Amino acid sequence: MKYNFIPILISVFLGFTFVSFSSSNLEIIITPRFNNKSILETDWYVTSTKDSIQFTKTKFYLTNFKLISNNGEIKVLENSSYLIDIFKPETLKFSLKLPHFDNNDKLYFELGVNNKMNTTGAHSGALDPSNGMYWSWQSGYINFKIEGISPSCMTRKNKFQFHIGGYQNPHNTLRNFTINLNKQNLELNLNLEKFFEFTKLSKENQVLIPGSNADQLATVFYNAFTVF
Amino acid sequence: MSENEFQLGRQLFYDPILSKDQTISCASCHLQANSFTHTDHELSHGIGGIIGKRNSLALMNLAWNSSFMWDGGVNHIELQALAPISSENEMGSSLNEVVAKLNASKKYKALYFNSYKDSLVTGQKTLLALTQFTVMLNSYNSKYDKYIIDKGGDLFTQQEKNGLKIFRENCASCHTEPLFTNNEFRNNGLVVDPFLNDYGRMQITNKSEDSLKFKVPTLRNIQFTPPYMHDGRFESLKEVISHYKLGIVHSKTLAKELNSNLNLSHKEEVDLLVFLRTLTDYEFLFNDRFSYPF
Ligand code: HEC
Ligand code: HEC
Repeated sequence: MKYNFIPILISVFLGFTFVSFSSSNLEIIITPRFNNKSILETDWYVTSTKDSIQFTKTKFYLTNFKLISNNGEIKVLENSSYLIDIFKPETLKFSLKLPHFDNNDKLYFELGVNNKMNTTGAHSGALDPSNGMYWSWQSGYINFKIEGISPSCMTRKNKFQFHIGGYQNPHNTLRNFTINLNKQNLELNLNLEKFFEFTKLSKENQVLIPGSNADQLATVFYNAFTVF
Repeated sequence: MSENEFQLGRQLFYDPILSKDQTISCASCHLQANSFTHTDHELSHGIGGIIGKRNSLALMNLAWNSSFMWDGGVNHIELQALAPISSENEMGSSLNEVVAKLNASKKYKALYFNSYKDSLVTGQKTLLALTQFTVMLNSYNSKYDKYIIDKGGDLFTQQEKNGLKIFRENCASCHTEPLFTNNEFRNNGLVVDPFLNDYGRMQITNKSEDSLKFKVPTLRNIQFTPPYMHDGRFESLKEVISHYKLGIVHSKTLAKELNSNLNLSHKEEVDLLVFLRTLTDYEFLFNDRFSYPF
């Protein structure tokens, strides 16, 4: 009990360091598109392989943000996990509180959920298993989900479903970005047309388990992003 | 761990609020009197009587498990409860739905507040509370344990001592003391059930060398956990021993220890069965702390 003042002293001290660093916010803005069209639940889109599709769900994780200074110093942003849902505008924009950063600094982050968070039990917030991004019969987060309908799919209700995850080698589906920071915001464009570039929905319309298919689709999804 | 969190977990474990139609609780398939498994059912069934694919596992000494389920698909106990909650064959709900129902319950809001100083029910807290209950289900007071603590004194009859010796020679490489499992996945020579086509561990690892391998289950309280094996195919321990004596099916992945049949006389078989009963822990099976709380 009598040492209670120590945490208070520490927080006062931390308060001072923050002031001297002048922390700043970095805005992250995600723009989902299908080529140059915005994505609406009610609209139809035609893929380059000539499948007509409608989206019912697209969600993915952006996690584990780190600021890499040009002197090599790395600052991990604690609890920086975000679940992005393209149909929930409030998830398409968030800001990271960074200590002062320079033009030559870099931002590192992951598309998906890494091995550590997959093997250390139940987490909270964006990673809470009640968010529906967790498999149950086999442990592991679903890094991203893309679901919709297409007349090309000879499935129940013409559904296509891609639940992509898997944190173990050789089919680890985690991907990462390292971006140069040169302005106060970072724009991530997701062009979902690219996700369907190599997929003929009549042939491949369900991937719901980890493995080599999931691994390939993780790369295709990663390549659907452009960051500037 | 706090007592409040344990008691919250205990309430959740026994409350059918966790299932879609409020009919099934964890305890429906994990009964204390059967060392927290389902007896009399080869394959556990859940809401609407839908039959599942596997025989329920007895819950005890879970903190020592390196993975969960017959195929080891679950890597951490905190995440284990997601499987029954969201399986259509079991509780048919989702953690999301359960959280919504619990958030609408005055009683649970209060219990969550007592445990977490915050009445908001979340998926994480629900899983943590269930874990606090299930990891306390520890069984270590069987006659066997007393005999071991007594350093091989007279607590065992000659027949039980002889059974232990036979056990150590033939079974302990997999059912290793003191947990009576080595936590490995092995093929113990069961023929594949053509209706279930369950290849066990291979379904998780996608490796052909894992075909037909299943978790080595503990044998503690084994007398009270029939039916036996992942699909509950054997009703009695006598049938299990007959399997090891006469029923081993040879295949590529069969455990090498089981290549030659178990060779026991009738008397030795009885001694082994008598020994297996010394693994029963009545204090555990009747411990009020683990029983129905309502
Ligand atoms: C409908 C029956 C059923 C219900 C309800 C059920 N379980 Fe189970 N449980 C099983 C079956 C079957 C297994 C084995 C599954 C497998 O291996 O695929 C199992 C396995 C387990 C295991 C793993 C044990 C081990 O040693 O690997 C734990 C822990 C567990 N259940 C806890 C729970 C909890 C907590 C609940 C309530 C949220 C629950 N169960 C509800 C049938 C059920
Ligand atoms: C090579 C490893 C190995 C050896 C040796 C072995 N077992 Fe097993 N045992 C297993 C595995 C694996 C299972 C689960 C198999 C399944 O369900 O597919 C099992 C299951 C059992 C079960 C059913 C438990 C339950 O909860 O359903 C009993 C009882 C059992 N063994 C008793 C014995 C006895 C007695 C011996 C010695 C005569 C023995 N075992 C030797 C690996 C082994």
